[in-house]
Amino acid sequence: MTEGLQFYEKWREAIIQCSRCGFCRAVCPIFDVSKRDLANARGKMILLKEAMEGKLSVTDGVAQALMRCTTCMNCTVNCPSGAEPDKVIKAARKEMVTIGYDNLFKAMSEGVEKYGNIYGEEQRHEWGHKKGKAPYVLFAGCVGAYREEESVAETIRLLDLLGVDFTTIDEVCCSGVLEDVGYKVKEALAQHNVREIRKTGANAMIITCPYCYRVFIEHPSYKDLGLEVKHITQFLAEVPLQVKTDKRVTYHDPCDLGRHSGIYEEPREIIRKIAPTFVEPERTRENAMCCGSGGGFRGTFPRDSLKIARNRLDRIIEETGAEILLTECPSCLHNFRNAKLRRQKIEIYNITEFIAQLYEEGASQEKQAAEG
Amino acid sequence: MEIEGYEFPEGLFYEENHFWARVEGDLVVMGMNDYAQKMAGDIVYVGLPPEGKKLTQGKSFTKLESGKWLGKIFAVVSGELVEVNEELEENTQLINEDPYGKGWMFKIKPDTMDELKNLMTDAGEIHEWLKKEIAEHGGK
Amino acid sequence: MKELIKIVGEENFTDALEELVPYSYDASVNVQRPNSVVWPESTEQVSQIVAFANEQKIPVVPRGSGTSLSGGVIAINGGIIIDLSRMNRILEISIEDRYALVQAGVVCDDLNGKLAKYGFTFPPDPASSSVATIGGNVGTNAGGIKGAKYGTTRDYVMGLQVVLPTGEVMNTGSRTMKCVSGYDLAKLFVGSEGTLGVVTEVTLKVNPIPRYAMTAVATYDKLEDAGNAISQTMTSGLTPSVMEILDRITLKSIKENTDIDLPDAEIMILAETDGYTREEVQAQMDVVLRILRENNPSLIKTAQDEKERLELWNARKSAYATLARISTSFVLDDVTVPVSRIPELLVGIQEIAQRHGLVVATYGHAGDGNLHPQILYDEYNAEQVEKMERVESDLFRLAISLKGTLTGEHGIGLSKADYMTLEHDVVEMDLMQRIKKTLDPNNIMNPGKMSL
Repeated sequence: MTEGLQFYEKWREAIIQCSRCGFCRAVCPIFDVSKRDLANARGKMILLKEAMEGKLSVTDGVAQALMRCTTCMNCTVNCPSGAEPDKVIKAARKEMVTIGYDNLFKAMSEGVEKYGNIYGEEQRHEWGHKKGKAPYVLFAGCVGAYREEESVAETIRLLDLLGVDFTTIDEVCCSGVLEDVGYKVKEALAQHNVREIRKTGANAMIITCPYCYRVFIEHPSYKDLGLEVKHITQFLAEVPLQVKTDKRVTYHDPCDLGRHSGIYEEPREIIRKIAPTFVEPERTRENAMCCGSGGGFRGTFPRDSLKIARNRLDRIIEETGAEILLTECPSCLHNFRNAKLRRQKIEIYNITEFIAQLYEEGASQEKQAAEG
Repeated sequence: MEIEGYEFPEGLFYEENHFWARVEGDLVVMGMNDYAQKMAGDIVYVGLPPEGKKLTQGKSFTKLESGKWLGKIFAVVSGELVEVNEELEENTQLINEDPYGKGWMFKIKPDTMDELKNLMTDAGEIHEWLKKEIAEHGGK
Repeated sequence: MKELIKIVGEENFTDALEELVPYSYDASVNVQRPNSVVWPESTEQVSQIVAFANEQKIPVVPRGSGTSLSGGVIAINGGIIIDLSRMNRILEISIEDRYALVQAGVVCDDLNGKLAKYGFTFPPDPASSSVATIGGNVGTNAGGIKGAKYGTTRDYVMGLQVVLPTGEVMNTGSRTMKCVSGYDLAKLFVGSEGTLGVVTEVTLKVNPIPRYAMTAVATYDKLEDAGNAISQTMTSGLTPSVMEILDRITLKSIKENTDIDLPDAEIMILAETDGYTREEVQAQMDVVLRILRENNPSLIKTAQDEKERLELWNARKSAYATLARISTSFVLDDVTVPVSRIPELLVGIQEIAQRHGLVVATYGHAGDGNLHPQILYDEYNAEQVEKMERVESDLFRLAISLKGTLTGEHGIGLSKADYMTLEHDVVEMDLMQRIKKTLDPNNIMNPGKMSL
């Protein structure tokens, strides 16, 4: 096949690196719920190998098969043969789009451009926080703004409580997810964000969403921000906290924060400060199983996405017996909350949200004591 | 009865946010109507609040989601939430398959049955309302 | 294939091209497109599928995780792949009666994870244990690193539930530790590579996990010295739980492609003793160390703590994979010889490699004579493919000449089918073919394998 010849030349080594050992089956969240060979990295690498060898013609079916992946990167991290399936799959997605196949994300790409968010919705949530100049600027991201507004509100309350002088901005979608689903960051949106951020005169930006964090750090469209970019856990790890809980607490590493950005210690530093009873799940850090919401998966395959979240949640509960599950990612938070069954007593929060609540509990206890 | 190609069974009360209500003894059962179910697409999540929650007619008290869409669920009458359809926790497709039957969502103990007067029952009224909804949001 | 959809439901059937592609492969170099794939969720469904296939004379291929290194799960005659992965429930664990009853699709490590909570384990430990299924382990009589002391899968199969090629369901074997009632049909199926029926449930004997283990490594500049050290250890009166070797090429590859720090040497021995008390384990290790020392090692080291021990294990387990990093393609064999002939095998492998101009790295279970020569080549280079085939052919002949066997644990599958007659005479081949024909008169059950 002549289509995509350049792609195969560039990625040939990467594609044949896969030795078909199948070890990725043990760590792929999609495979975990479907048990179908095409679901995991090996299946997709074989698909691309055959396409490269001219044995397989690319069809919409093939293009869409590549979308069944949350880009969690667990396969790459655990691949004994040194293959990087996540990179290959993302590159192949772009190739499919370039050639003209419908990979289910065309509508999202157009929606992001038109509405400035991944949901194609019109009204972006406002938290009523100041917008102007400050040494810190906060960026929340689409999932926080459209699906977990209350959680972000708590994060904002915590920062206020801690006396952090920060401003919010008129955000639009960082549009980074488009890069992972075959499209590109929208320049106009990126420029809007950069402009607004620079206007604040801030020295540092605090981001609540790990995906946005990754985009701001990595993508060339954001290289002229002119300030330090931190995920909120990096910021909070250096702040002294005056609250504690004796509840049994565990932590889920979001793929975009952990495997993709290498931020494992800071969330744990924060949690250890406030929860002496911190326990790790069995599969944790670079081996943490994905919650199922990344890489556009929650939008295109929501049922499976929630099955994956339910799986991960069930295992965390079984392995840790924790009363509180913490994470610091609006997508993981949302997927877990949707997946949690009523009979499961575990409570799920973002770290910042949880700490804000501890402060509130502490404050009301003090108030009662003072009045009593 | 069928209105503009959507099912709107008789004997139910219809609320303008696309929910239906039915009297069952001294309780009011509510769910989502056929038009909304079709527009939403495959519903994958319904928030099921704890029993005892206080509700106000016309105010949203929980949400539901399909792949990309998040919709608010509005109380059809004021009162206390006494029962949720637990089947929906793992079988949200019941809402799409049988929105008026197995896909029922909540049972409310109303402060007063009088509030049902604020909802639509007349076929003509429902028809006019639905036509406007379709014109604004699409559907047929 | 509407009949299949009726049996398993639409969601558990496919004939979509993109889904068939991955099922055309396993971890070997064999490729063939099946016609469809089904994911049954019960023995009843498997039985109906097989009965239907038998009636229509359509080939069926039982498959677990598709990690076969010999083409065992390739549908060489087309047909239906029966993927057992959805039948992955652990049905019962009885520690008092020392068995675990599992569906065939249970992953080896998942079973061991559950058993570990009771302090027990299913000892065969293939390198693919994180993904390989028990059904697959049964099909190839999987061995692994602990073979010399703890045996292979066959030693742990107490009973099986199998769907015969006619579709009938047979439950055979017992829940007792010993049984000689009737022919041992269960053991017939172990190692039969899915050619006699579809295994759906397995009753496995389980062992207590040894309380203590100690690990040591020694490197040698001369193959004979290492060979002698191995022989002497295996005849010393104790049985180490592990006796692995890694050759120079393997060591170099691991060292250059991972963070693991290994010395340069002609050959490295990795030994482990285990037992119930620390003193016993130490006493055994002292014997092993003495023997290792007496054979001119260039280096000897014992792991001082669990962390170091796991590092050494990591080194061994990453051999297969790091070699994959330095070569476009490879073929992994598992020729096995009597333990005393290991030095000759090692030398012979290198001689064959040099003669044909390919690189062959060797590592493996010296303790039970099972070595893994990994032939590195480029599958897109016709000349190299031919060389690889000649190397394999010579390797098999060498192993047989040393009174060995073509395969210790990977199975014959497709890759070695042509060489069956090197090892099995006409009497044997005839009987095997008759057994196959009796159980599978229409030759639908994983046809084309093992030359049967």
